[in-house]
Amino acid sequence: MKFSYNWLNALTDGPRQSPQELSNLITMKTAESEGVEPWGEAFPQVVVARVEHAELVPDSRIVKAEVDAGPLGRKTVVCGAPNCRAGLLTAFVPPGVTVDGKEIREATIRGVLSQGMLASGSELGINKDYEGILELSGVNPGDPVPGCEPDFIIEIDNKSLTHRPDLWGHYGMAREVAAITGSKLVDPVKIELVPEAPCPFEIEIADGKLAPRYSGLLVENVTVQASPLWLQNRLSSIGLNPINNLVDITNLVMAELGQPMHAFDADKLRGNTIYIRPATEGERCLALNDEEYVLTPANVVIADQGGPIALAGVIGGKESAIFEGTTRIFFESANFQASNIRRTSSALKLRTDASMRFEKAQDPENTVRALARALELLLEVCPDARVSGGLGDVYYPVPAPAPIHLPHAWLERKLGRAIPREEVKRILSSIGFGVAESADGLVVEVPSWRATKDISLKDDLVEEVGRMVGYASITPQPPHTPAVPPHENHEHGQHRQVRGALRALGFTEVYNYSFVTEKQVAAFGFPSAELVHIANPIAAELAFMRPSLLPGILQNCEDNLRHFDEFQFFEIGREIHAREGHGQLPVETNFLAVVHCTKADGDSHLYALKRVARNLFNGARLEPEAALAHEHPFRAARVDWQGETIGRFFEFHPAKLEARAAVLYVNLDQALRLQPGIARYTPLRRYPTSAFDLSVVVDRREYSGKVQDAIVRHAGDSLVDIEFLRVYEGAPLPEGRKSLSYRLVVGALDHTLSHDEVTSVRNQVIAGMEAEGSELRV
Amino acid sequence: MTAFESMEASLREMEVSAKEQIEACNSPEALEEVRVEVLGRKGKLAQLSKNMGTLTHEQRGSVGKLLNQVKGVLETAFDAQNQRFATAVLQARLEREWVDLTLPSRGPRRGSLHPVTLIQTEIEDVFRSLGFTVLDGPEVETEYHNFDALNIPPHHPARDMQDTFWMTNGTLLRTHTSPVQVRGMKQLGPPLRMIAPGRVFRNEEVDASHEHTFYQLEGMMIDRDVSVAHLIYFMKTLLSEVFKRDVTVRLRPGYFPFVEPGFELDIQCLICGGSGCPVCKQSGWVELLPCGLVHPNVLRLSGINPEEWNGFAFGLGLTRLAMMRYGIDDIRHLLGGDLRFLRQF
Repeated sequence: MKFSYNWLNALTDGPRQSPQELSNLITMKTAESEGVEPWGEAFPQVVVARVEHAELVPDSRIVKAEVDAGPLGRKTVVCGAPNCRAGLLTAFVPPGVTVDGKEIREATIRGVLSQGMLASGSELGINKDYEGILELSGVNPGDPVPGCEPDFIIEIDNKSLTHRPDLWGHYGMAREVAAITGSKLVDPVKIELVPEAPCPFEIEIADGKLAPRYSGLLVENVTVQASPLWLQNRLSSIGLNPINNLVDITNLVMAELGQPMHAFDADKLRGNTIYIRPATEGERCLALNDEEYVLTPANVVIADQGGPIALAGVIGGKESAIFEGTTRIFFESANFQASNIRRTSSALKLRTDASMRFEKAQDPENTVRALARALELLLEVCPDARVSGGLGDVYYPVPAPAPIHLPHAWLERKLGRAIPREEVKRILSSIGFGVAESADGLVVEVPSWRATKDISLKDDLVEEVGRMVGYASITPQPPHTPAVPPHENHEHGQHRQVRGALRALGFTEVYNYSFVTEKQVAAFGFPSAELVHIANPIAAELAFMRPSLLPGILQNCEDNLRHFDEFQFFEIGREIHAREGHGQLPVETNFLAVVHCTKADGDSHLYALKRVARNLFNGARLEPEAALAHEHPFRAARVDWQGETIGRFFEFHPAKLEARAAVLYVNLDQALRLQPGIARYTPLRRYPTSAFDLSVVVDRREYSGKVQDAIVRHAGDSLVDIEFLRVYEGAPLPEGRKSLSYRLVVGALDHTLSHDEVTSVRNQVIAGMEAEGSELRV
Repeated sequence: MTAFESMEASLREMEVSAKEQIEACNSPEALEEVRVEVLGRKGKLAQLSKNMGTLTHEQRGSVGKLLNQVKGVLETAFDAQNQRFATAVLQARLEREWVDLTLPSRGPRRGSLHPVTLIQTEIEDVFRSLGFTVLDGPEVETEYHNFDALNIPPHHPARDMQDTFWMTNGTLLRTHTSPVQVRGMKQLGPPLRMIAPGRVFRNEEVDASHEHTFYQLEGMMIDRDVSVAHLIYFMKTLLSEVFKRDVTVRLRPGYFPFVEPGFELDIQCLICGGSGCPVCKQSGWVELLPCGLVHPNVLRLSGINPEEWNGFAFGLGLTRLAMMRYGIDDIRHLLGGDLRFLRQF
């Protein structure tokens, strides 16, 4: 929302601040200013000039004009405007002045030296009219262009005004400024201008909740024309387009008082009753923006006998709009339910200056004030206009909120500083609150413009006092509360540990997006019942929440292979799996993916990664298992730990990735649950152990894990340790066979094993293995 | 010359000549030969001592003393020469073992953690030391937790402040970490000190400074008589820890439906110290985090009596903080998975 510095000053009376100072004060006390921009910096250098003589430059459509620029003297100017003619009073921009982003210079055009520029309204920035140069009257050459005063525009972040319906107009902001700077608020409204007489139009509100108030005024004998320049300039300065005097007045009142207004051509209204009612199903309304909207009973319309003439609180209707020939107008100034306007405006995808204000919950007390102000302005631009009858006004007042009891000690405790009671009274009164003393504090009455939504609790008043007294006046204070150790977050502890270990082992942490594409879903074959669908995805193809980290991980491999031949990385993130039912939250589970990716051929560092897996999950076992679609069919296993399967260990299927990538993929939440407790220490052996080696010859594809398990089983209790030594293939072994060698360490807790005892264990293992059909190379 | 005199002379002569021999040796082997020849069981010294039988008792004592003296001198000489050889051998080995320590090392290179992880861990530690519990919440949330329970009813214009991703089943991606406040209050009850770091989502176009996925850290303290002064204290402490220096903060009004009063907290620009620079857009201040006293409606909706308890809450942009700290100028790097970027942390 843009605020004019001049306008704010006109609405306050007292000490003045520079625009920048004012902007800072508003930021610190009221709402966030995004900065100050000058407006019309060139205006003081632009003067009125009279065209004394105009002739076409031969073979062109441009005019060579001799102008009288008052004290600046007579100038020759080349002008392309069709309305440049002798006798015209217009705006002259001398060389060296910048308008419309361009510095005007003396220049020779078609052999004519042009000593400046005759300007259109759009070149000066005061309207959008670029058809011709300004046409002025009642002024003399050398005068400043009337109504064109330089200004400063303070732009306030709309988000910071969400809760303040009153700040959607200059008057509301002026009230804040007055309170901040200690100046006096000047009310621009002369309420007595509204005549007390019956209105020729009847007003019928169908539902006082949807439309608490509708006020209107019939005005006759108006002339539609361009607004005076001051009005056009004022609207343009805050980003509103001047259209014609009647529309401009409604916009100016809206920008001043925050009250949106509308002007109907009264001659186009059918019948003499204005209905404010829900639309009927399928009812249509052709709006001022030339769009036809199809409505439902959830939308409120303004209608006459023949049907909708406006979408309440959003936009006027085309058919009842004023045009050049309008002479009778019906001014509407109404109040609508905020949530209904918001619903309608978002359903129709139509946000207007009016709907933006109404959805903040405007003050119903403001409607007649706006009519009075509009009437005053109308009489200024159309002195012959007169009100027909008087005010039409139907009002279903919302019950006034109860006064708020504000205990003083409570206020001080909340703020964390002492504050004199008189100061609190002064602050609250300065922004329009009614204040009365009570035994332990104040009883505060909320003004109507703050009561619609913003303020209803004593907590709300803490902010009013706090911001005005200034938060900088509060000294930081540590709280007086007993120190209690925080609850442990075991998940975070686990993640931290995993991250620390992986960093030490040379892995880089990545974060991937939570979204996956349909293509990824198909490639990994995720079951669609488990997918969480996004209704409004960032891009049409990114419509699912990731049910696995693997698509992201695969993408990381592909992307980074462009820069590296070999790399290792990991991600901790959530798998998201849908649960059936409307409003059901999905299951979110923390997973860990650890990846070693290389362009080199070979085992793709599967064994190095296996070591990492066992480093993270001590004693974890890889159990070969049928590979999933994205896994290398002969390089895939499940990861077993603490008696459960916690994940997968595999190489990506070569069809998925050209390079090799070994992947450890583990359910961290499950692993956390399985985390063993604190282990007790094992006493050290007092008697020496003995060792012997064994080699077992098996099929090439026999798993050593299985062989080792069998050896361990046969060795029994005296086995202290078993170490894999080597695998051998080749002569003298037959084709398709391999030899696995192990070193067994045996011993007893209470004595040193004798030679015979060791031999007996060895024989026991050999016999056992042979009984199971293994061939031993002893 | 008496036998006694000749023995004495031989001993002295041998001492001189043997010493010369020892010093002339240029290998441990030659030295050993000399040692056997002189000090061995059948060596010169032993031979001489055999002749002692021809001497008187008195002479024997005197020669014996001399003999031991010579033996001692020669043994010392042998040891010294041996030591020289050992030193030379060691020296030669050391020389041979020269290596180039500037060659690159093998084994895994240093890994790295994500910049958001780094800053999040640090902030968690600060808050844990202040007695705050770290909580997590779901990324897919209910409308109730994300909005209604935070005093943002349906059709409240504040819903516009956050563009929301909606799921087809009516749930949504949390637009802030604030719903964890609600879960924390219900789970732990008052008094409560909690933070909730995590991933949040807004349906926004992505460019160098906007992401649809980013990280926040929510904080909340509920106790008796929590004041604005306490809030400022915690924020100042936190930010001084994060930025490793004393920071100046200021509060100004800010609107967030779940707090009342609500603030925007600015810190004095760390680049220019407040005098104005491009980073702070010449204002001397950088907007850092929204905060405020918890709205009584929010407490009530989570079953806490606002007449008895109150508190403060704040939301910290972890992504933004990480970008500030590491000077990251493009937010898209953070979830881009490019190891050239990620390895730098």
